[in-house]
Amino acid sequence: MRGAIMFGVPNRRRTAAILGSWLGAIALLLAAALAVHGEDKKQDTKPDDPRTAAALAAWDRIVTVLQHPRCMNCHQENVPLQGDERRIHIPLVVRGHTDEKGVGSGVDAMRCSNCHNATGNNETSGTPGAVNEAWGLAPISMQWQGQPSVKLCDMLGKWARGGGNLMEHMDTNLVKWGWDPIHNPPWDPDRDQKNDPKPDPDREPGSKRTPIPMTHSEFMKLLNTWVVGGMACPE
Amino acid sequence: MVTVPLNVNGRSANVPVDSEKMPLLWVLRDIMGLTGTKYGCGRALCGACTVHIDGEAARSCSIMVGDAAGKTIVTIEGVTCPQAEAKSCPQTESDRCAKAVLAAWRRLNVVQCGYCQSGQIMSAITLLKKIPKPTCKDIDLGMEGNICRCGTYQRIRKAICLASDMLDGKAL
Repeated sequence: MRGAIMFGVPNRRRTAAILGSWLGAIALLLAAALAVHGEDKKQDTKPDDPRTAAALAAWDRIVTVLQHPRCMNCHQENVPLQGDERRIHIPLVVRGHTDEKGVGSGVDAMRCSNCHNATGNNETSGTPGAVNEAWGLAPISMQWQGQPSVKLCDMLGKWARGGGNLMEHMDTNLVKWGWDPIHNPPWDPDRDQKNDPKPDPDREPGSKRTPIPMTHSEFMKLLNTWVVGGMACPE
Repeated sequence: MVTVPLNVNGRSANVPVDSEKMPLLWVLRDIMGLTGTKYGCGRALCGACTVHIDGEAARSCSIMVGDAAGKTIVTIEGVTCPQAEAKSCPQTESDRCAKAVLAAWRRLNVVQCGYCQSGQIMSAITLLKKIPKPTCKDIDLGMEGNICRCGTYQRIRKAICLASDMLDGKAL
């Protein structure tokens, strides 16, 4: 800064101008980098890639599963829903405590596990349950109620790109419960719903819970097609 | 016929049952003779069957006895030490809450027909153990699963508040 001392005020202005131009250049470079590798990239394949078309077709079927009551009833903000008619849960239960994954397990004296056992669907009381997994509300970041298909696609894609293991999650017993919400045992997410004899509502209290209308294996294939196709989302 | 090891109210026993899928409620009532826990709906809707399993409230109509094996089960009969005033009586947090809840219930004459009250009391004990000073909203949400046909809700609420004060040393 000897020059600044020798030449006084004008050198300070020149120094500031030089610094300003360097900062501007750095900002431009950063902006260009973000444009190329932005976080909000919607898909990982090019639009004319045939896998993209397959992914979009798969998504159209995947979203019908996400919007099915067996999934949507627990992907709520604060209160779970019940049944095919999606009524407010009776008795009223709320999100309450959340674990490290953001799953809501209810308030202290009214936890989900008060009634929903980890041994699976209860044949006597009809209360649903996932085998060896705790029941609870999905994290608020996965609040799906009222979200259109494109938004759901975006949410799932962001979660997967952010490190969420989509295939693993969709293969958990909690998720697979949606494909066999009544029996226990035998509990079979790949049960052939079309040819299975209709359960007797008097003997199987949970039988008014319609299972997701495709096998779980089929769903996982669709999911794989969607992921391989770059998790393409509809416009 | 199978035998299931159960620990109920501090006593362990191998209980013969028809099937491990038998609801715990019926094992407690019909086989073990502990009829304090009531059947209200059998669908986990009313709370009359509430017991404690490993310290947490649970609906015994929705628990298969096989799943309760090896766990600590406490029914309404077992919530307080018989000699409540005796110095030798163990004073766990659950015991303290139970003593306060029962005292409050008696003082305010909460009970009407009484059918739901064992479940109400078990839930209230769990609530106070977790939230020693519950707000009205805490009571609403915590006791939501216990219904009362006689409508003793106001007295239940007051009794929970009184029990909370007792635990706090404010009420004698």
